[in-house]
This record gives sequence, C-alpha cells and structure tokens, in this order.
Amino acid sequence: MIDINATLIAQMLNFLVLVVLLRIFAYKPIVKMLKEREERIAGSIKKADDDAAAAEATLKQYQEQLAGARVKAQEIIDKAEKRTREDHEASMQTTKAEIDQMKHAAQLEIQRERALAVEKLKGQVAALSIAAAEKIVSKNIDAAENEALIKEFIDQLDKDKIGDLPC
Amino acid sequence: MHEIGVRETVQFAGLTFNWETLVMTWISMAIVLLIAILATRNLKMVPTGAQNIVEGLIVWLREQTLTSLGPKGEFLCPLIVTLFLFLIVANWLGLVPTMASPTNDLNTTLGLALFIIVMVHTLGVYMKGMHYIKHFFQPFPIFVIINVIEEIAKPITLAFRLFGNILAGEILIIILLMLAKWAILPSVAWLAFSLFIGGVQAFIFTSLSLAYLANAVKDSEE
Repeated sequence: MIDINATLIAQMLNFLVLVVLLRIFAYKPIVKMLKEREERIAGSIKKADDDAAAAEATLKQYQEQLAGARVKAQEIIDKAEKRTREDHEASMQTTKAEIDQMKHAAQLEIQRERALAVEKLKGQVAALSIAAAEKIVSKNIDAAENEALIKEFIDQLDKDKIGDLPC
Repeated sequence: MHEIGVRETVQFAGLTFNWETLVMTWISMAIVLLIAILATRNLKMVPTGAQNIVEGLIVWLREQTLTSLGPKGEFLCPLIVTLFLFLIVANWLGLVPTMASPTNDLNTTLGLALFIIVMVHTLGVYMKGMHYIKHFFQPFPIFVIINVIEEIAKPITLAFRLFGNILAGEILIIILLMLAKWAILPSVAWLAFSLFIGGVQAFIFTSLSLAYLANAVKDSEE
C-alpha cells in the first residue's frame, strides 16, 4: 500500500509541468491584469481628486470675479447717480438763472414802457388841455356852458380812448 | 469491487509506475488547467463569473505568500497557487465515483513534500549562503542532530498527513457502501465531510510549505 516507486519522480515532474503551465496561462495574465486595475483605480482616484480641486479653484475664482463685478457695478451706479444729480442741479441752476434774467429783463422792459407811456400821456394831456382850453376860450364864457363843455370833453375822452396806454 | 491498497502497475524503461495514480494526476492537472484557462481566457477589468473565483483564489494565495515570504518571495507565488489548486482538485477528485485521488498514493504526497523541501534547502543556501547552513548548528553545534531530525521529519509529516487523510477518507467511503446498502445518510454525511477534509488538507499542505519556505527565503531580523 505504501510501496514507493518511480511514480514519485513522475509526480514531481508532473507538478513541475503544472507549475510552469499555470504560471503561463493563469498566474501571469491575472497578475498583469491586477496591476493594470490597480494603476487604473489609482489613476481614477487621483484624477477625481484633481478634478475636485480644479472645480473648487474655479468656483472660488468665479466667486471672486462675481464679488468684484458686483462692487464695480455698484460703483458705476453710484457714479451715474452722482453725475445725474450734478447734471440736474446744474441745469436747475441754469434754468433759475435764465428765469431770473428773463424776469429782470421783463421788469426793465415794463419800466421802460411805463416811462414811455407816462411821457406820451404827459404830451397828450398837455395837447388835450390845450384843446380844451381852446374850446373854452372860443365859446362864450358861461358857467353853465363851461360845465357842459367840460362834461362833453370828458365824455369824449372816455368814448374815444385817446391813446393806448396800458395803465 | 475496489481492492484497497492493491495498485495496478506498469513497467516503463525498467521503472515501475502506479498507472492509476498517474492517470488521475493527469486528469487533475487537466481540470486545474482547464478551469484556469477558461477563467482567465477573457480577462476583464471589471471581473464577472468564473474570473471572480479564480482571481480571488490567486489574489488570496498571493497575499498569503507575500505575507509569509516578504517581497522576495514574489517568484514563488505561482508555485504556491499551483500547489493549492492542484491539491484541492486532486483531493476532491476521489469523491467522484470511479475516480481516485492522486493524493491517496504516498508517491504523490511524498513527491510533492520532497519537491518542497529540496526547494527550501536549495533556496536557503542560494539566498542566504553560509548563514543558512550555520543556523543548523545554533545555539550549539550539538543541536545539529535535532535540527537534522526536524528537517527529515518535515517532508515525512507533510506527506503522511495528506496521504493518510485522503486514503482514509476514500477507504471509509468504500467501507460505508459495503456495510449496508441502506446507509445512504452516513455515506452522504461522510462525502460532505471528505469535501471539507479535502479543502482543509490542501490548505494545510500549502500553509506548511509556505512556512518552511519562509525559513529559507524571508529576511531574518538579525
């Protein structure tokens, strides 16, 4: 039952052959594949980390840019508002000045016209006085007639509206 | 009827061979190779099906080897992987009716054990030189006797443990069937136990081989 013979040597050789064959057909390809997988996984993890870092950096950059843009926009709005206010004020000033000037000019004109009218009136009053006096003188000096004459004169004065004076 | 212990022999070139053992060994080798080739024929990055099993086995044995032997033991991984796969298939082959385990022959187990032990000493001398030889004479030169006995005992225990377990299992399968035709339950239970024994013995043989190899290959802390 436990006789030892040349089978022992044959089994050693058989085993050696199996080792060589398994090494070629199974061990090497599997180990190679394991290495590849390991590298790939490591690569994937590294890439994922890198991507995450890059994304974070980009996000930070965007946020900074956004903050900068917001500040700038506010600045622009402030500036525009300020300018508008200044413009408005300036135009108000100009308009006020213009109005003042116009008022002033108008007043001057009014005074001038008035003076002119008074001058004219004075002249006409004198002429009328002379005309009235002439009429009185040419007629008989009668108290009643005089009074009627003056009344008529004044009525005529009202009716005819001698001159176009505004006052 | 199967005659226990009687082996059919053939003569070749003046040498005697146990024909059944050789045939069963070749069948085991063929099964191992077939499984390995089928499982690794189309290796994928994302493993599926049979690739998972064979890949898992190889990764597990590779890790065992690297843990025991250190990085220098990388080149012995195929040996350990082959040893385990061959032994487990060989042990289980005997459970198939009309088949026999190649490991029920002492020639197989002693052949493997001697193969491992020769390798251990060759590698020991090759990798550590005089230091390896010197460690047999420590702490005192007289210890060489104990050490030599130990070294001789290693392959013998390795061989007989496996041989005894597998042969006993097969004998009991036959005896249980001879005892009574109705004794199906004990037969089935024993078959299941033999399945377990086959796996355990394959693992023990591989682990002990690794331990012996570690003696020769692994860097000592000194």
